Amino acid sequence: MSDFLSMYSVQHWLESCPQGYLVGTEFGHPPGESESELIVSDPLLREQAIGTTVQLVVGERCALAASSGLINSAPDEASKRFLATQTLDEARHVEIFTQRLFDLGLKKSELESAIEQYANPNLMKFAEVLLEKVDRKDFVAGVVGQNVVLEGMAFSVFEMMYAGSQTLNPKFAHTLSGTIADERRHVGFGENRIGSLIQEHPEKKPAIERMQKEMSYYMLATFADSFRNNPAREEFKKLRMSTSGAPKAEWHGADLNALEPEEMESLLADTVLKEFKVRLGRIGIEYQTPIRP
Amino acid sequence: MSTDPLLRHDDLQEAVPRQRFLLEDTGFDEVPPKYRRFYRKWRGPGDALAANEVICPVCKVVIRSTRELRPGDRVYCMPCMSRLVVVRAEDGGLEARVAY
Repeated sequence: MSDFLSMYSVQHWLESCPQGYLVGTEFGHPPGESESELIVSDPLLREQAIGTTVQLVVGERCALAASSGLINSAPDEASKRFLATQTLDEARHVEIFTQRLFDLGLKKSELESAIEQYANPNLMKFAEVLLEKVDRKDFVAGVVGQNVVLEGMAFSVFEMMYAGSQTLNPKFAHTLSGTIADERRHVGFGENRIGSLIQEHPEKKPAIERMQKEMSYYMLATFADSFRNNPAREEFKKLRMSTSGAPKAEWHGADLNALEPEEMESLLADTVLKEFKVRLGRIGIEYQTPIRP
Repeated sequence: MSTDPLLRHDDLQEAVPRQRFLLEDTGFDEVPPKYRRFYRKWRGPGDALAANEVICPVCKVVIRSTRELRPGDRVYCMPCMSRLVVVRAEDGGLEARVAY
């Protein structure tokens, strides 16, 4: 118990992840699985799926830059090794979500222009706030921003997308399942390592609280842009109706197939903010309520 | 390191013996094989926990021991590598708190 840092080893990561839940997978899912025909064959749904996946690629590129950037500012060898494994996890996430864009029909030559076209400006701002802390080699703020705020958000977003994809798109659900398993380690590191470090650096709390408030605002603005005024709203209704009789897509007590986009936004935002509050409270940081866009 | 997530437990020092549980693999694959039966996925609000189970508040996985859990027990969540202490919750059940 006292030697908990010893668990942050490459060996443990190898046995759990590449030799564990990723065995036999190809870009995160069993070989041979493909995207739902319903999505690929419908231009509006396909474009919506590309837009959503671009946000995942952007978020994961930020996580890759942050986790690799934090390695040299980590105060101990075990944390450096953990962040090295997290860096590989994040690189894998960038790769599997990029592969999904190709599976949805995007050409390799179109990748960067599609990212430029669809990347949400608020998500880019969210990333900038975090990467500024990483660039300053502020390990405590960087890990709170990366492993508590960013990963905490990703954990809930992936879980919701997983619940919504299990019936409609098993291939994507399987891809997400491995990323959720990775996120468990990342949020665990964030809480456990920072929970002890923050006690040694209480002077860092005000700046971290401001960062959390700012990142939370940009996160909510990203959610708002994604769910409100959605041009594929009618298409989604069609998609939901096609699943009538299928098992409910349950997440936090709600059936995602029965929710309007605004209701989904509200459920996701409230869930993530509640999680932030609880997680930050556990490590001794006072949650700051963000402005609602 | 013991494979059971219940840490430093000595049956002989307890007046009331603990109930024992036989654990089966539930398909949880996020930890190395020899630890897998000690964890399972939480199925949401309707998922009832047995006397040997507690939810990890950090990663939401259900931690399972071969012994009944009691307040004061220290348990380890391998999927997120958190050290936890079992406490009595307001509703009378057991919950885990993170120990930093």
